Amino acid sequence: MVNTESSYTVDDNVRFINSTVNSVYELVALIPGSDIILNYLKESYQHDPFRVLLELFLVFFAIKYMLAKRYKPNDNSVKLTNKEIDELVEEWQPEPLVPSLTAYDRMNLEKTPVIIGPQSAKPKVAGHTKPLMNLATTNYINLVASEQIKDKAIKTLRNYGVGSCGPPGFYGTIDVHMDLEKDIAKFLGVDEAIIYAQGFSTISSVIPAFSKRGDLLVVDDGVNFAVQKGVQISRSNVRYFKHNDMEDLERVLEEIRVDDLVHKKRLTRRFIVTEGLFANHGDIAPLPKIIDLKFKYKYRLILDESQSIGVVGKRGAGLTDLYNVNAAEIDMIVGSMATTLCASGGFCAGSHEIVDHQRLSGQAYCFSASIPAMLAVSASEALKVIQEQPNLLTELQERVVSIRQTLKHKALDPLVEFSSPDIDSPAPFFHIRVKPTFLKLHLKDDETAVPREDEERLLQDVVDECAYQGVLITRAKYVAEQEKICPRPSIRIHATTGLTKKETEKAAGVVKAAITKVLGKWRR
Amino acid sequence: MSGMSEKRAHQTLDQSSMINLNSSWTSYKGAWSTTIFIIISLKLLFSIIPGINPEASWTLTNVVFNMGHFIMFHWVQGIPFENNQGAYDGLTLWEQIDGGVQFTATRKFFTAVPILLFLLSTHYTHYDMVTFAINFSVLVVVLVAKLPAMHKVRVFGINKMDEDMD
Repeated sequence: MVNTESSYTVDDNVRFINSTVNSVYELVALIPGSDIILNYLKESYQHDPFRVLLELFLVFFAIKYMLAKRYKPNDNSVKLTNKEIDELVEEWQPEPLVPSLTAYDRMNLEKTPVIIGPQSAKPKVAGHTKPLMNLATTNYINLVASEQIKDKAIKTLRNYGVGSCGPPGFYGTIDVHMDLEKDIAKFLGVDEAIIYAQGFSTISSVIPAFSKRGDLLVVDDGVNFAVQKGVQISRSNVRYFKHNDMEDLERVLEEIRVDDLVHKKRLTRRFIVTEGLFANHGDIAPLPKIIDLKFKYKYRLILDESQSIGVVGKRGAGLTDLYNVNAAEIDMIVGSMATTLCASGGFCAGSHEIVDHQRLSGQAYCFSASIPAMLAVSASEALKVIQEQPNLLTELQERVVSIRQTLKHKALDPLVEFSSPDIDSPAPFFHIRVKPTFLKLHLKDDETAVPREDEERLLQDVVDECAYQGVLITRAKYVAEQEKICPRPSIRIHATTGLTKKETEKAAGVVKAAITKVLGKWRR
Repeated sequence: MSGMSEKRAHQTLDQSSMINLNSSWTSYKGAWSTTIFIIISLKLLFSIIPGINPEASWTLTNVVFNMGHFIMFHWVQGIPFENNQGAYDGLTLWEQIDGGVQFTATRKFFTAVPILLFLLSTHYTHYDMVTFAINFSVLVVVLVAKLPAMHKVRVFGINKMDEDMD
């Protein structure tokens, strides 16, 4: 019963549609000339109403598309009404162009020493009548005072003038730059080297030149700020491993390998990024183990040797020299010429392909004027001095060991700790940090930890006391908000051959006395 | 996850840091007239094949143009020159046009062209069922790829890079 009824209604509907279409057709047919159009349509679509329908649909689609309003898909930006905009404008208070300094900023500013005259191992510092013994610069083998370099630099200055007036790829390259590149490559024992105009931007340009979005960086979490910036700019996927912890590195690499197998990931460029001699920690990366892992898991290695070039190793050629590894096994050795070499700029050394790629893709190389000719010559000459006088390095080692020995005194044991516990470490500098146990004794009732600022001020007092006694040292300074893991406040002490053995011992004694005095008196 | 939002922020930052030279040309009037010129050339080229009938030459024109268009606008991803750390990785040219904004003049032009080409070809020929089906399905493939609903969508994961897309 029900079925027949519904079929009736269907029949009714069909009949209704048919009659409507018919009457519309008759109406259209009444228009003069319309039969020509109808015939034409039927003709051209092979009497197939389905095709006519499809094409009509296409036309409607096109018209609808043409009339649609523009919009951005997945746009999460907040849409404000005019009233809301007015309110926001009304409420807006401009921040001062120069923000007012906090008490801590002011302290940092006031305590910055001003050197009068040229940089040296015993510079004259504003506010002190006698020159201070300088344990605060990377002038490790006193190349600042080298007459040989000075003469060469002056000669070059007379020949080429000061600036190079252009980026390297755009009449900024002259013979001395190419000579320096060759000198560096030869010194390190690699195919080729490329020089950058700024030490800081070298590594932060080298990393993004090779590693892009979707590529993978496995990074030591104790690397310096320049490396961190390079890692950030590269936009790559980043995995960190614990500072100098090879087991952790292997764990990370293994995790990545398994993850790639499970998810059948595309093969991407992948790099291990670490520092030779860590600026923030004063310790040295276990290079042979890293190279083993790099080969085992098929990674490339980017090694920042900014601190170690010129001082670490028998020849001063950095970590490869120290561990006696073939430099060609490290894909990119990046270093600074602004530290030991006392010139300026940085370099990246590696195979021809690695260097060649940077000539067009190293942003800091392409878009920065090349280093002044005289500084390039200074760096070349500095390398020559290091090679000609290997005794400088042994002397430096003696100096730093003697400072460490003096400071590793029992009296200092409860007060401070050292970044590298090994007295004979080849690192020419180290950090001194206040011992956590000592800090704990000076907690206020409601505190769980001594604020960073208080610790910095305490160390600054030590620095001030040393300056008063004739020794220039400095706190390690960080952009604390931007560091991945900001190291604890520290004093960074650099050895230098610019001071004699006696002077070095005396200076170390002054530092020791200052620590005992200031930390002993500390009241909060 | 803060990592994901940071990634997205970096991508927006990098994409908006400079004009996307890979897609900016599509809005030039010269590019539009070139498109039309290419279609006319294709048609002429296929028409002068000895013994070819109009159905076959129109079908060839349609298929070749739409296939070329599909490969260029909807298949190839990223940009060929690298200067923003791969900010457009995993995005087709169509998705890059006008920074992903839908229904802009450029998009309307490149949507209208294949439709008009198809309508013209049906007008000038007597397609049988097979040629009609070929022409129509080629058109549909191109049109579907252009739909706003298909923005950054990879059907069945076809042609999907494993980068996470924005």
